[in-house]
Amino acid sequence: MRMFRNLKIIVFLVLLIGVFVALNFTGFAKNIKNFFYSFSAPVQKTFWQVGKNTSDFLGGILEINTIKKELDFLRAENQELLSEIVVLKELKKENETLREGLNMELQKDFKLEIVQVIGKDISQDSLLIDKGQKEGIVKGMPVITSQKVLLGRIGEVYDDFSEVILISNKQSSFDAKISDKEVFGVVRGKGNQELYLDLIPKEKEIAKGDLVITTALGGIFPQALLVGEVKDVKKTDIEPFQTAEIEPQFDLKNLDYLFIITDF
Amino acid sequence: MARKIIFCFVFFYLLVLIQTSFLVYFRVWGMVPDLVLIAVVLISLFSSNQLWGVSSALIGGFYLDVFSSSVIGFFGFYTLILLLFSIITRIILQKYVRIPFFKRI
Repeated sequence: MRMFRNLKIIVFLVLLIGVFVALNFTGFAKNIKNFFYSFSAPVQKTFWQVGKNTSDFLGGILEINTIKKELDFLRAENQELLSEIVVLKELKKENETLREGLNMELQKDFKLEIVQVIGKDISQDSLLIDKGQKEGIVKGMPVITSQKVLLGRIGEVYDDFSEVILISNKQSSFDAKISDKEVFGVVRGKGNQELYLDLIPKEKEIAKGDLVITTALGGIFPQALLVGEVKDVKKTDIEPFQTAEIEPQFDLKNLDYLFIITDF
Repeated sequence: MARKIIFCFVFFYLLVLIQTSFLVYFRVWGMVPDLVLIAVVLISLFSSNQLWGVSSALIGGFYLDVFSSSVIGFFGFYTLILLLFSIITRIILQKYVRIPFFKRI
């Protein structure tokens, strides 16, 4: 009985193997698969979608710590990159100023030191720059822009910083002349970025638009630095001298990098 | 018995679909749990009727052949493997093992 049963199992297995071999060799197995796929596809698609959504949801919960850490890391990296951008922008600006200075051939005429403006006290007509005694800055050194426009001179000198007294400062006065004319005078600051040319002999002719430049007289500034442009001329019969209001040629708002003339 | 076989067809169909689509997203060490194999093993172990175990192996194996690509590219591979497994399990259980705590279905 047992033998008969075992025989039955063996026959069944052999038959089954035969069927499968036939299915594989005739290619009918592909038809069977195709038949099942055709009606299972929508169900499988639904399962796929559900599985994906569930996995995304669970993955989000499980990886929340990793995501948080990554977010912190990215934030820190972003900050670092931002500060790097700021440094690069500053370097670009400095480079541009230096190029401008080179184009003006400033270095041929003077020994220069490039400085950056770090503070502006407009009401007092003074600036604060980032170099001081340690860099060899000395009180009285002339300060110019890259366009060879006179800005002022060094006032107080600290170890790492210096104060620039603008030519429009009330304490400031120096000898100047009208460009292309033999008209001399003294430029005095009025405060609030205003200045005027004083002590101009009455008989000398000056006109609006004339350029005022420095002279070597007094030895405060080198000669031929641009001071400003004559805006208005005041002449009265009572006064022995005439005066002229001068429009400064520098723009305080756009001053970032300046040059100190260390030797002239 | 016919009802059991119909149940087997539906049950294993659902299992194989879940295994090949839903569970793909929940791999454990890169592997998808083989629900069909687990079900066939459990049925073979705990069913009182040998036909019940054999039919579950045949149906489960057939669905695995249809819905998953065979290791050797032979259609019927899983059916034969599961069938052999079911028969051998049955023989071993009958001859050498007793499971007193479980009541066979």
